[in-house]
Amino acid sequence: MADHTRFEQLVLPHLDAAYNLARWLTRNVNDAEDVVQDACLRALKYVGSLNDGSPRTWFLTIVRHAFYDWCKRNRPMEIVRDDGTAIEMAVDPAAVDPEQAFLRTAESKALADAIAALPLAYREVLILRELEELSYKEIARIADIPIGTVMSRLARARGLLQRSPLSRATN
Amino acid sequence: MNCRQLETLVGAYADGELDALRNYSIRKHLLSCAGCTTTHHSILALHTRIRAEVPKSVAPPALHARVRAMADAVRASAPARARPRDDRWRWLTGGVLAGCTASVFAWMLGTTVLAWRAHDDFAVAAVTTHVRATLGDHLIEVTSSDRHTVKPWLSARLDYSPPVQDFANEGFALLGGRLDYLERHAVATLVYRYRQHTIDVFVRPEVSHAPMSALRTVRGFNVVRASGPTMDWLAVSDAEPAVLSAFVQRLAREDVSQ
Repeated sequence: MADHTRFEQLVLPHLDAAYNLARWLTRNVNDAEDVVQDACLRALKYVGSLNDGSPRTWFLTIVRHAFYDWCKRNRPMEIVRDDGTAIEMAVDPAAVDPEQAFLRTAESKALADAIAALPLAYREVLILRELEELSYKEIARIADIPIGTVMSRLARARGLLQRSPLSRATN
Repeated sequence: MNCRQLETLVGAYADGELDALRNYSIRKHLLSCAGCTTTHHSILALHTRIRAEVPKSVAPPALHARVRAMADAVRASAPARARPRDDRWRWLTGGVLAGCTASVFAWMLGTTVLAWRAHDDFAVAAVTTHVRATLGDHLIEVTSSDRHTVKPWLSARLDYSPPVQDFANEGFALLGGRLDYLERHAVATLVYRYRQHTIDVFVRPEVSHAPMSALRTVRGFNVVRASGPTMDWLAVSDAEPAVLSAFVQRLAREDVSQ
């Protein structure tokens, strides 16, 4: 199979997952696009080396590498300032009471903000686990850390979230 | 071990990532430790909140377009191979083959759509039953991971005896069972947990429906059906379609193993 065909069949279906990860790592929509584009260039180049493993894990590993390289160039101290672009919160159209709907999205925004405020090392494992639903083994491969570290970082991330005043539900 | 050290393991337990032995010891510890039980519950609650409230970002269409253009550029720059001389024949056979394939595909699509429509109400009924059970308190009427408890409980209330197995070591933990109604019949329902997902499995003596091997998604829930030698298996869950399919096929395959 030609490389571009492999890329289209194996990698492209995971573009949304790649963007989601980049979006949470960079915390900025434009930077996320740059990172994903760089990752796609690398994936196109190396897609020949993708063997039996999961293409999603393989691609997300590349996205993460692309992010860290981008970070070294642009935010060497990881002085990542939030650009204030809130993650688009869909208002539930089924909500009968508009005030309720507003409350719910305000809480949801607080939770999203609390996740975005997590230190990078904790944020990435949390996103891979809770949003991408990857197994510890897959996360360990992507983040290049032992499974025990995945476990402890997740516990720390969850602890931080639960103690964060931002994420507390207001009911 | 003190509970502070256990926090990490309780997290892995909630994620369904522990091996059988550690899974057992944490489950036992939770029964006697209120502190760790609270931790466990708050991890599950946090997961539910994130799933419900934090949307996954989707790549903007412009990015999709740019990446496609990149792939196309690579395709264009790939060296064109010299065409073999009998090219015309290859195109002709290719055309005939494509024509046949298209006809067969159209026929299959037609029959599949018809079969789907016949089963549409069926899948909707299954999802409704599942949702009704998860919303109320009657998700599990007999709580046990021991199939020798669940099976007799169900057989005593039905005119058939469903096969019951626990696959906790593969991540599908049997939580228990209940009696439910599907298409105006009482049906044995097994409840499993996979990671944070609840899976309802309706088990009935083989019914005369045309096979619904295709996966159906109703209001975000996946419905998968498989037929075993003696029973008909139908699973409903918000778990990933691939995972659910594999699980149901596994159940159907091992239908007569007990």
